[in-house]
Amino acid sequence: MRKGLNMEQKSEIEMVEDFERDSKWFFENIDKLRKEGHTGKFVAIKDSRPIASDEKIDIVIKKLEDKGENPSFLFIEFVYPEGYVLIL
Amino acid sequence: MVRIPVDIVYFAGGLRPMLKVVLRFDNPRIFLPVNAIIDTGSPTTLIGFSDLRRMRLSSLQIKKLLGKKEEINIGGGKMQTVALEGMNFKVGNYLETSLDVKFPLSGEDEKQPTLLGVDFLEKIKANFYFNPDKRESYIEILD
Repeated sequence: MRKGLNMEQKSEIEMVEDFERDSKWFFENIDKLRKEGHTGKFVAIKDSRPIASDEKIDIVIKKLEDKGENPSFLFIEFVYPEGYVLIL
Repeated sequence: MVRIPVDIVYFAGGLRPMLKVVLRFDNPRIFLPVNAIIDTGSPTTLIGFSDLRRMRLSSLQIKKLLGKKEEINIGGGKMQTVALEGMNFKVGNYLETSLDVKFPLSGEDEKQPTLLGVDFLEKIKANFYFNPDKRESYIEILD
């Protein structure tokens, strides 16, 4: 444990760092995810690899819970098809 | 002056200014790191549907959320929202603030991302710089 941090602080900091790392991995590897069949699906990333995916976010959440994961702490994003343009 | 770097990522067909934010709330208890797109075309801050689902709030908890319910128009569709007053936003070690946000209650698009609207920039009294050509973006808060 890092000096000066209690367990709760440490875990929250680590969770945010993990989220940031997995977020970075997602955007750098989106073509790889498309090739692996995740296009049009929500994908959950943990430790720089996809651990659950589905077209429906609620099913991804359920899959994560079944694995004992807490979705609040994981990076989940939708893999848009190549060429798809989202106007906000 | 504080300058907060903003990521520029290629997402859903274009370059987007994206800020990592940790959302917190006491009751219901929420702790959620999110990627939020800074959208100066949106007057309000909106929590995306998938981020809402990541919070794992029960439908009862969502129904109990105090705040104004309203229908908003977004991307050509309509979305029913409820306001959650006083959500805490933490951006790294740079800043922490609270803001009323809109949660989606129903809508057609599960993929709607979380947006930081003009209300967020106004609340923190920030300038927003975005240069896609140089891949440079930041929020600047003057003292």
